[in-house]
Amino acid sequence: MSQGLAGYVIRRLLWTVPVIFLISVFVFLLLRLAPQDPIDSLLGQRYDDEIADRLRAKYGYDRPLHIQYLKYVQNLFQGDLGVSTRHGDFSVAEVVIPKIRVSAGMNIMAMILIFGIGVPIGVYAALVRGSFLDPLVIGFWLLVDAVPVFITAVVAPWFFALQLGWVDLTYEGVIHPNIILPVFVMALPGVAGVARLMRASVIQVSSEDYVRTARAKGLRERTVVTSHVVRNALLPMVTVVGLSLPGLFTGTLFVELLFGIPGIGREALLAVLGFDFDVVLGLVLFGSILFVLANILIDIAYGFIDPRIRITAARSV
Amino acid sequence: MSNRTLGLMMGAVALLIVAVAVVFVLVLSGGDDGDEESPRAAAPTEAPDREDADTGDARDSSDTRDDGRAVSGICGENRLITFGDDPATVFDPIQVGDASTAEYTAEIFGGLVTLDLDLNVVPDIAERWEITDGGRVYTFFLRDDVVFHNGRRVTADDVKYSLERAADPANFSPTVLDYLGDIVGVRDKFNGSADEISGVQVIDEYTLRIELDEPISYFIQQLTYTIAYVVDREQIEQDPDGWTRNPNGTGPFRVKVFRPLEEIVLIPNDRYHLGPPKLDEVVFSLSGGSLSTRFQNDEIHIAIVPAVELAGVLSGESELSEHYRPAPQLSIFYIGFNVNQPPFDDPLVRQAFAHAINREAINEVLFFDAAIVADGLVPPNLPGYSESVSTYPYDPERAAELLAQSRYADEMPRIILTFSGGGGDPPDNLQAYQQQWREALGVEVEIEAIEWSAYLRELRRGELQMYSAGWIADYPDPENFVGKLFSSESRLNHGGYANDRVDALLAEAATLQDQEARYRLYQEAEQIIIDDAPVIPTFWTVRHYLVRECVQNFVDPGTIVPKYRYIEIDTSGE
Repeated sequence: MSQGLAGYVIRRLLWTVPVIFLISVFVFLLLRLAPQDPIDSLLGQRYDDEIADRLRAKYGYDRPLHIQYLKYVQNLFQGDLGVSTRHGDFSVAEVVIPKIRVSAGMNIMAMILIFGIGVPIGVYAALVRGSFLDPLVIGFWLLVDAVPVFITAVVAPWFFALQLGWVDLTYEGVIHPNIILPVFVMALPGVAGVARLMRASVIQVSSEDYVRTARAKGLRERTVVTSHVVRNALLPMVTVVGLSLPGLFTGTLFVELLFGIPGIGREALLAVLGFDFDVVLGLVLFGSILFVLANILIDIAYGFIDPRIRITAARSV
Repeated sequence: MSNRTLGLMMGAVALLIVAVAVVFVLVLSGGDDGDEESPRAAAPTEAPDREDADTGDARDSSDTRDDGRAVSGICGENRLITFGDDPATVFDPIQVGDASTAEYTAEIFGGLVTLDLDLNVVPDIAERWEITDGGRVYTFFLRDDVVFHNGRRVTADDVKYSLERAADPANFSPTVLDYLGDIVGVRDKFNGSADEISGVQVIDEYTLRIELDEPISYFIQQLTYTIAYVVDREQIEQDPDGWTRNPNGTGPFRVKVFRPLEEIVLIPNDRYHLGPPKLDEVVFSLSGGSLSTRFQNDEIHIAIVPAVELAGVLSGESELSEHYRPAPQLSIFYIGFNVNQPPFDDPLVRQAFAHAINREAINEVLFFDAAIVADGLVPPNLPGYSESVSTYPYDPERAAELLAQSRYADEMPRIILTFSGGGGDPPDNLQAYQQQWREALGVEVEIEAIEWSAYLRELRRGELQMYSAGWIADYPDPENFVGKLFSSESRLNHGGYANDRVDALLAEAATLQDQEARYRLYQEAEQIIIDDAPVIPTFWTVRHYLVRECVQNFVDPGTIVPKYRYIEIDTSGE
């Protein structure tokens, strides 16, 4: 069995190589064939043909596309993602890694908040099913979900910073009370989804035989709920956590822009607008590798949780 | 999980739901704090309107807080917190081409000369200078007490090294030819045909001679630009790739922290020869939420008035009005014509277009009268400005007449006005011009947005028929507007304008030493250009600052000058 799993993982990992390769070629061509020119935007009004030529030579933009690509890949294997034309020769890693940390930190906090609020609400809604409280609670969070982040991100600072004076809006790093507000704004729309999934899961588990058995053998209702229903109902949440893993490292553009947080979303936007080739390429590669790996992880995790999936997965790929 | 904890959990969730619900109901109903008079009506539900209602409400609470927090807040420390833009290049004076990087560079480095807050050229590393040989030779006498941040003394050799480094072909400085290209030998060095700049000679430790190819009367102004700043050879040779992260300059400030997109913190150079800064620290915040909200929340000393609040601030209705400080900039917006492309190869058409737009009305309606209608090219706060220069007034009848006389009276080719921008509608003022041209001339102008680098490329190649553009002074001299944009030889003359008389005036002015006489020549050239109308000057720009009252001596003279060393924070809590 474990051999089958190992083989499966290796096969899946090998498949990622052509996928990443195709993505990198595609994005590379997209960037290079676009009408924008990073040297144009770098030199602005002071453009001078000779200086531009020298800069193109410096960054290698004057060479044929396939050579440029091969050079990029060669550097990539040496751990060199290139340099940022926009941040004056800071390396891509120097530019991107701190931003990833910021975004990841915020995303993890937001995720804890989402599940911390969403799971109990889902359980609660399932338990009060049939009463008016169920649609009220879920409906309220759906309403919150329906408010676009760019509205909450404008209203929340005004309310909590100006009206209540609870928080400041200066960015002071991820480990600082000022980060609470943006994290809160990020988390709000996610709660409804988790709550509804949890609610459905609890309801489904409640009708399982083993729950009936538990009740039949005379366990108290609360014990049934906590140790039989909730515990089993949490299983599908693994998928949700897994699927949101790659999202942890990608930024949330609106929150980052409106709160001025130096995260990966803001960086990506500015990199695209500033034609920072290597940064954009680095970000896309990072994102796609993450996505592919997360998918593999989810499949494997499923296998551990549900033997049926384990068997078919091992057979089918 | 025990039954009790589950019960507690449910209770907590219910409480949280209620709390969040209460908060949101409060927010949506206009956020009355409950501790004050204002029983304000519920704010409209549309976001833009709510924005206005917000400022009104915010006033009450933040006023009360100001009093309570005056000393413990940001005015309690001798540390200036202001906003900044992410530098577009490294802190290397010879690579700087953008205003944001120049702002920091000007504080960290210094050159032979600098600008004061009134935009006069004043001594920096050079104590004084002599101009001989009819304005062709400059001899600089250096101060003997100038040191780099690390304490090393600055000598004439350092200045020569810095200038030669700027012209070194391996460093591909984008600005060296524009600013230093008139020095004998700079072009040779830049082309790789010379190792030295022959026109820069070290006479002794504290004397330096610079020879120009021909007399250039604005040369000393050009030397105030970052390209001519002095850098530390030892540091650069030791750490050629990393030195710009913490450069060893001679300026009033040193870099303490530089994190792209986060913040830049400068600390004083206590040995600064022109008088050390009075602040303990200057923090340029490159991140964080809305500037005006943070300003209201007492988190930042200096901010910019957001566009949506400008009307309220200007009318005095906003709480922010008392902090409002307008700063006219040394910059201009204009509509440029390609004088070689129909229909703008006929001056009558250009003049008709100029007569047809009503800039005063646009200023009033769109800019709340906060911009300045450009009555010339050279902005009013620039030395050499003259009120005698004037532009075509709004006169739709005359405009129609001129168009009827033009060679395109019967058949107007397709006209495209290009601006640099992304998606969405064109800026309001461009749409207003479009409408005014339609009404006065019956001409339909199409407006087209293209992305910035493509815009620059097409502009450079003279492919744009008509364009919306702007110009910010590099150095405070009329030449920078009149000459750089309209001399037939300038590579920044994108409209292809060529006028022999203008060229002759510019050439004459360039060699004159008498400032007043020189300015008169530029004014004459300026008027000829405006009359020929290769350009319609539209507006001189104004920056709308919000400044906390404890910040003293903050001046934005409209261009990049070292200015933070003058600033003080009154921590007395008054």
